Amino acid sequence: MFSKHVTKELSAYCHGEIASEQSREIAEHLIGCNQCRAQFAEIKLGVKLAEHLPQLSAPDSLWHDLQARLAAQEKQQKIETTPARKPAAFSFKAWQPSFAGVAVMLLLVAGFGALWLYSRQSRPFWEVARLNGAPRIGSARINDKGRLAVGQWLETDSDSRAQIDVGSIGQVEIDPNTRVRLVETKPTEHRLELAHGKMSARIWAPPRLFFVDTPAGVAADLGCAYTLEVDDRGAGLLHVTSGWVALQLQERESMVPAGATCATWPGVGPGTPYFDDASEIFRQALASFDFEPQAESKITNLDLVLMNSRPRDTLTLWHLLGRVAGNDRARVYDRMAALAPPPDGVTREGVLQLNEQMLQLWKEQLEPTWNNESRLQKVVGIGIRAVGRVRERMGKR
Amino acid sequence: MEQRARMAEPIVDERVIEACQAGDREAFRLLFETYKDRVFSIAVYSFGGDQAAASDVSQQIFLKLMTTIGQFRGESAFTTWLYRLVVNACTDEQRKRRRFLPFGESTPMSKLAQRRPQEKRYAKLEIADSVQAAIQELRPKLRLPILLKYVEDLSYEEIAGVLGCSKGTVASRLNRGHQALARKLVHLRNEVE
Repeated sequence: MFSKHVTKELSAYCHGEIASEQSREIAEHLIGCNQCRAQFAEIKLGVKLAEHLPQLSAPDSLWHDLQARLAAQEKQQKIETTPARKPAAFSFKAWQPSFAGVAVMLLLVAGFGALWLYSRQSRPFWEVARLNGAPRIGSARINDKGRLAVGQWLETDSDSRAQIDVGSIGQVEIDPNTRVRLVETKPTEHRLELAHGKMSARIWAPPRLFFVDTPAGVAADLGCAYTLEVDDRGAGLLHVTSGWVALQLQERESMVPAGATCATWPGVGPGTPYFDDASEIFRQALASFDFEPQAESKITNLDLVLMNSRPRDTLTLWHLLGRVAGNDRARVYDRMAALAPPPDGVTREGVLQLNEQMLQLWKEQLEPTWNNESRLQKVVGIGIRAVGRVRERMGKR
Repeated sequence: MEQRARMAEPIVDERVIEACQAGDREAFRLLFETYKDRVFSIAVYSFGGDQAAASDVSQQIFLKLMTTIGQFRGESAFTTWLYRLVVNACTDEQRKRRRFLPFGESTPMSKLAQRRPQEKRYAKLEIADSVQAAIQELRPKLRLPILLKYVEDLSYEEIAGVLGCSKGTVASRLNRGHQALARKLVHLRNEVE
């Protein structure tokens, strides 16, 4: 781990201008250093803004104006040529537009043809390894290794599995009967689309660099391991095994820590996250509350959720505060306060008005209760980063 | 991002440059067609969105290119040589204009942001307008590396070659440029992320 701050290298890091070993060290430093991470967020925003800077089109008149200017210059100066080179021997008067026009068009067509071929070959890609069966990229089967270029689909049938290297920041395993597409890969954003099926991701990068689009929301990696599945209706299920993942559809967002799960539905967005060890009745009531719109059953389901909640289930209750209103919100607050009293500076009135600062303060106080990853999960988290380092070094040999 | 920088390579190669040096008009037209938008873009961003000034400077640049291309010896990449010409021409012209224009007129940064309000129906165009306006407010020292990176898609090494400084200086100026942009346009965070 880098002990030195990395703020001076952050633009170069975003642009992929840094050697891969140092790049990994910077990524690791960013995970652990709040100061550098804040600077990284600012520079990443600057990069994203600058990427909107368009290349402008020169006016059509530029060439004609240039000709006129040159003709005037020729007339005035009578440019002389040298025997060795004839740098300024242009005479537009002698130029036959019809013949030259055809020649220019042919050259341009040939040039753009070469460019088209080149750009097809140079599209960014991820390495794909076959794990089982015969996965396909587009219509072509992968033997042992393949390349998934931006825009291409990778598909597995009932007997096949594949593994994708996500640039140098992680790995994704693709289960059978799954269809994924590489949407984008650049230093500031890596994005995959999961149309259906199941994938497992292990990411060793700073937060919000790796995203997975699904029909019912976007999963943003906050570091570091999770599984995500999408069924034929487009509904998704996220299960986090290490670190945090944010699941979002438009304004609705769920923050899901290790050991928790969150469902998401097309047109509705992410439901309320819950810990896997919550009681069966709690989980069933929460699913009905999230995805069954009848108001009458909601009250019953909310009652069941509140009655069966433990201190650790404040994860669920904290999310519910913003998703219910009026008396229901007051009931959620009261249950939360009974399970884990709010810290100083957080008042009942403020929480009921959804004061962001107070909600954040309470969340920070609760996080140690939510983050009690098992020893195995912690080992997995450390292992993921170690594997990343080893793979990088192996790749260099 | 690298794609745009390399776009020119298959079209303008050594043969085209040699043909230009020998006075071949079609070759020069090809060179012009390949680089006109890039040259014009840098000029527009350097002159605060003033398209007439940008057009004038672009013509000067291509005239100079035609008369001096014989001096190109291939010691650096052609693009490095060309962009050095562009940066020098824009800097010289800015100096001249500053001498004759009242303070403030040489950088009408808000022109682009103010014109064509009907286009602002589209969020993307709005962002592009805001970024253009913010870029024009930057000092040339921070603006040029950003233009060479995002409009011309040059690598840090190529930018260093054009500006005659080290890669470390390029990295440092880009860092400061990015931070300045982020601070000016922090309200667009949700639109771009």
